[in-house]
Parts: sequence; C-alpha cells; structure tokens
Amino acid sequence: MSIRDQRKLIESIHPFGLLSKESMDALMQKIDIAYYPSKTLLISPSISSIAFYIIIKGSVTEYIEDEVHDVYGAGDSFDADALIYGDTKAKFVVDEDLICYEIKKEDFLDLMQDKKVQSYFLQDFISRHQQLKEYEQQSELSPFLIARVSDIFLHPACVVDAHISILEALQRLQELRAKVIIVKEEDAYSIVTDTNLRERVLMGENDISKPIASIASKNLVTIDKEDFLFNALLLMTHNGIKRVVVLEHEKIIGVLEQIDLLSYFASHSHLVAVQIDKAQTLEDLKALEQDFRNLIVTLRAKGVKVRYITKLIATLNFKIYKKVFEMCVSEELQDKCALIVMGSEGREDQTLRSDQDNALIIKNGVDKELFSEPMMRLNSYLLELGFPKCNGNVMVSNEFWRRDVTSYKELIEKWTYDMNEESVQNLSIFLDAKCVAGDCELLHELTEYLHGKFHARDDVLAHIAKAVLNFETPLTLFSGFVLEKEYNNKLDLKKGGIFALVHGVRTLSLQYEIKATNTTERIKELNNLGVIDKTFATELIESFDTLSSVRLKAMLEAKTIEEANFINPRTLEKNQRDLLKDSFKIINKFKKFMTFHFHLNMVV
Amino acid sequence: MFGFFSKLKTNANRKRLKDEKFAFLFDADTSGEVVVFDTETTGLDVSKDEILSIGAVKIKDNKILTSQTFEVFLQNSKEISSASIKIHGIRPVDLKNAKTTKEGIEEFLHFVGARPLVGYYLEFDVGMINRYTKEMLGITLPNQMIEVSEIYFDKTISLIPQGNIDLRFDTILKNCGVPNMGVHNAVNDAIMTAMIYLKLTQGKK
Repeated sequence: MSIRDQRKLIESIHPFGLLSKESMDALMQKIDIAYYPSKTLLISPSISSIAFYIIIKGSVTEYIEDEVHDVYGAGDSFDADALIYGDTKAKFVVDEDLICYEIKKEDFLDLMQDKKVQSYFLQDFISRHQQLKEYEQQSELSPFLIARVSDIFLHPACVVDAHISILEALQRLQELRAKVIIVKEEDAYSIVTDTNLRERVLMGENDISKPIASIASKNLVTIDKEDFLFNALLLMTHNGIKRVVVLEHEKIIGVLEQIDLLSYFASHSHLVAVQIDKAQTLEDLKALEQDFRNLIVTLRAKGVKVRYITKLIATLNFKIYKKVFEMCVSEELQDKCALIVMGSEGREDQTLRSDQDNALIIKNGVDKELFSEPMMRLNSYLLELGFPKCNGNVMVSNEFWRRDVTSYKELIEKWTYDMNEESVQNLSIFLDAKCVAGDCELLHELTEYLHGKFHARDDVLAHIAKAVLNFETPLTLFSGFVLEKEYNNKLDLKKGGIFALVHGVRTLSLQYEIKATNTTERIKELNNLGVIDKTFATELIESFDTLSSVRLKAMLEAKTIEEANFINPRTLEKNQRDLLKDSFKIINKFKKFMTFHFHLNMVV
Repeated sequence: MFGFFSKLKTNANRKRLKDEKFAFLFDADTSGEVVVFDTETTGLDVSKDEILSIGAVKIKDNKILTSQTFEVFLQNSKEISSASIKIHGIRPVDLKNAKTTKEGIEEFLHFVGARPLVGYYLEFDVGMINRYTKEMLGITLPNQMIEVSEIYFDKTISLIPQGNIDLRFDTILKNCGVPNMGVHNAVNDAIMTAMIYLKLTQGKK
C-alpha cells in the first residue's frame, strides 16, 4: 500500500537501504514532505540546517562562495555535513520548485546511531566513492577482480636443494603431487618445468643422476600472496608462462597454475595472447578482432576495474604491434631501431582501439631509407587490423616520425624553444612514448635527454601545463540535466575531465622526471615523491577510473569514434551519475592544484 | 468566510448531533492545519456504494505531515464487485483486518477534528462520509471545505479566460509538476492532492 510505496522510494536511496526493518519503521514515522518554491534559500552559513532533505521532485543548487559546487535532483539528498557539524560554508538554494522528504535534525542524528548509516555519511570522498562503486557492482554482478592470489587454490611448492639429483627431485615432486620443481640455489631460486625435463633430459644429454640445478631455468616469476589475481594473469600473459610462484613475506608458499586462474576468470585473455604469438599471417591476427571485443565486454560485465582492463588491452595490443613489426621489418634491421607507441597507447590508457600514434627511432648511422618501405607496410597492416588512422598523422608512415636519435634530439630541442601550439602538442604525445619492439634503449636515451632539457625550466613547464585549464569542467551540465532545460545534453568526457587529468599528470611527470607513462602509475609515483599526498592521489586514481569506466561504456555503445567521448548523463543510473559528479569535483580540485603549483594565473 | 446562511446551517447541524463526545467537530479550529483526504469506494453512487478505505494527511504551512498519515480499511456489507477491484485494487483479503465502519469513521473524525478539509472532487468523498455520520451521529461534516480543482480553475482561468479547463486529476497533477506516486490508493491520492494544494497555495503568487 501507500506507505509501502514511500518506503520503497526511501529504501532505494543509498544508504537508507541498509537500515534494518525496525529502524526503517521508525524512520517512516518521522518523515514529512515539504514544498519550497524556487529561489528559497534552504541552508546558508547564517541559516543553520534544520533537516535532512531527500528530493522527490525539483532541484537544488549548492553554492560555495558563489560558485556552483553541486546540483541535486530527484533522488539526491543533502546535507549531512551541515547537520553533523552544525555549520556549513555552502549555500543551498531551490532552483526548481522543490518537493522533498524532510527528516528533522534530531531524527537524522538519531539515525546516525546506526553504524552503517553513520559510516556512510562520515566518510571522506574516497571511501564513499568506493562504497558507491561496490554498491553498484553488487547490484550488477559480483566484484570478482577484488579477488586476491590468496583466494584461489594454490598447488604445493616442491622446493629442493640445488645439489640433489634429478631423480631425487622427481621423487620429491611425485610425493608432493606438485607440478614443478623449484630449485633453491645459493642466492636465488630457479625452476624446472616439464618443458625443461623434456628438452634437457629426454631429448638432451643429461643423466638423471646429475644435480637438478643443471637443468633449471633461471627466471623465476613470482607474485605476492596479497596481490590481485588479475596481476597474476597479466604476469602470465606478459611473460608467456603457465604458472607463477606465490610468495608470502618473500618466502615461497605455493604455485599458482594458469589453468586454475583461467577457470577462475572464465574468460580467455591468455588464449588471445597465445593466438597473437602463434599468428603467422595478417589474416590470423585479423581473426582475433572479435575475440578482443568479447574479452573486454566480458571483463567489464564481471566488474573488473577499468584500469586493469585497459592494462590488459595494452599488453595485448603491444603483442600485436610486436608481431606486426616482426612481420614487416627484416631480422637484421630489427635491433637497429625502436618502434614506439605514444599518446593513449603509450599511457596504456586506451580501451578499445584508439588512434594510432606511433613513431620509429633509428639508430644513428643506419640508413633511414631502409625503413621506409617496411614502415609503410607496417602502417597499412595496422590499418587493416582496425587500428584507426591518426588524424594528426603521427604515424610511422609519415617521414617526420621516422628519424635517427640525433635528429629526434634536434626535434626535442626545437619543441622546448619555440613552444607554439603544434610543438606543445607533439611534445605531449612524445612524453607518453613507450617502446613496443626493437631496441628499447634508443627510446630510453631520448627520454633521458628530454628530461634533462626541462631541468629548472619551470617557465616552459607552466606553459605546457596551461592547457589543463583549456576546458571547463562540465559540472554545470548536470544542472542542465537535472533541470531538464536542455535538449540532447551531452557530456564530453575527454574535454571535460580526462584531458585535464592526463595532461596535468603528464606535465608533473615531466617536471619530476618520472619514467612511467601510465597515468595511474604516474600518479602513484608523484605520491611517492611527495608532490601530492596519499589521499589526493587516491582521489585522482579513483576519479580517473570512473571517467574511463563511463567512457568505456560509451565506447562499447558508440558507433563512431567521435561519438565515444560523449555520454548523455540522462542514460546513466543514479549511482553512476553521483560517481561522475564526484569525479568532476576532484578534477576541479586538481585544476586548482595545478594553477597553484605552476602559478598558472600568472602565465599568459 | 462563513456567511449568515451557512452559519444557520451549521447551527442546525450542531443541534442534530446525537453524541456530545463529537462536539469538538464544531469547535473553532486553532491548529493552523488542514486535512487532505481521499476515499476508495465500491462505486460512484453516494446513496448505495460503501467506503472501502480512507486515507488522509495533515498539512501545516508548507509541510505535508506524512509522519502522521492516516489510513483505515473498512468492513463491507456486500461483496466487492470484481469490476471495482480493478479500479481501487482492494481485494476481499485486504479487508481481513479491516475495522467496523463505526470504529473507522470515529477514528477518522478524531484525526480531522475541526480542521478544514481539502480534496479533489471533495463533494463525493464528503458525501460518502456524511452518509455514515448522519446515521451514527445525526450530522453532516461541519468542517470548512476546500476544493483543489476550484483553486486550480481560478488560477488557470486568469491565464486563458475563454479556455476550457481540463480538470481531470492527472492533468492537474501534470500541470502542477507533481510527481505521480504510483498506484492510486487513498493515502497516495491524498498525498498527491496535498502536493497540488501546496503548489497552488504556496507557489509564487
């Protein structure tokens, strides 16, 4: 009946859904509906808050120092802080005639006795953000990527001394029913797999009475027990191996087998990786296109954090680049150059395929012309594989992006001096460069050189950083959305938020000579260096994740690349809208930080 | 507000009151509140049909006191026709714990007191209640009546003097920007009517 309808409405609003039946019953006895015509001032520093409001219809704008800070619409509630702390800096004004539920101050504070409600309202941004995300995932599908290595079945580790014989080691293996032998040598561990046994004992000359260490492989890949399972998958995919050794406090506690991991994930990222490795022709690679897309859809549906998806996609894309590189460049030339990807690919931020941004660095003294034909071919292959053309023509097919080391250095020199729009843009792209094939030392040398050029050049850095302020954060668009005044209101995620964050973090990384190209890793590094504090770093990472996640959703639904950056907030669920709004607030905070850090208000 | 004639009527009504316990209905109202109410009935004939449920809320200033919502289900003498069930959604099983009409109406009268009554097509709902009160107490409801569709009409006619004004509930609801709270039942309808009332009386003049 009716009271139940209202109850349902209230329960659908987080965190009231967490209340016990009794508390909910009690709450329902205390809620009134109030009506306020537009322009009513509800709360301000001089009018203390008397109630907690939950909007049924209408909208309210929150101003801090006369700047729009937030807009609340149907289903939103405000303002817990004003009630809890008894005062506020903000001003809440009714924007569109408001019908709302009102919980009186005393009753609201009573409600705060409930631990769950209390923790929700007393949390800072990060935990509230995470709780909302978790809540969202719960309501969709299980959050499976929170799973850690320790959550999965581990095979016992068969650790043996280096000097025992192959036979003894095998017996020990049998006893433990383990799959691989880990050999403890003086200062390190090595590993003996079935492949080693086959190649070095059955097919090789080795006698089973020889010490086990003689047939072991050196590179033991390990992972900490507390690490995410997904990272284990990345490790396997990246190294092309079938198992990783699990450590706890630097001690071996077991072995994680790929088969177990895969059944846990029940998707086939590794299969895609293997198929890329096996591919002989362009057609083989093309055939993988659909698998690729499915993989993303599956992982996303399973609630995998977008930053892990993008990382996996990047890893797989790098494999494709490498493969295509090997197909196009003859073997003797392969180590005389470095193929680099830049922009979003270099940052490992791209979700579905984004524009090709690639270049070739040639070793000094090698004839540039030798690479002309192979690079044209490489470009056409990539196009055929569905890597879209770069509008700015930042591609190896363009002679401009095929140079030797000296010539790149001259280019960098030029960029740092003339500072026109094009130079800043090229520099920005190059800052995200990551080597995917060939001799990666070449890129390393250039990065060092580039960082050196920016020592104590804060003026130039400020000039680059300025672009962060180029676009307004579209918080006000939400008001357009809430007020339903606009037609076809769409948000540009890239301009609105992602660009400012990525570019700002990139500029800071240049200043502090951070080598990482991935935005999340750069933020972590900046935190390690003390440039930004831990809380802010986490806020930025979470915001970036949210923006990317919403963007990925848009990309999967979009028909064209241009469309992919736009979303209609109307189509988002309330939780997602809240997350997005929160993220934009953090972007604004970041812009303020950048303005202060580089004194941007003094740069013309 | 009360003219001479209506005063006469009230006095005559007062004289017919059989039970002095309900004399409060005739007191001057000092609460500053109004009561919005709605009924669900077995049909639209005031002389034959019966009340199934009554829903009511109080309004004080700009607030609908949903914390004091009134809702009651009443026992019926006849079987409820299946045609009417489709409209009000009250099935015989929903009336299992219903009160006798005497109990229900008395509770309602205590809830209302001397407060003015607000409703949509109030004439019908009051007419239904009056049939019971006449029988039980010898009187009709003496409260002041406020019809929302009338206020709506007055407000709208000034904008379109010659126009035909659509006074259907859903139309008024929509034009007043009041959210539809879902299923129609006595309490929901009372709350929605209350919102319309607030919007019409509290909005920008």
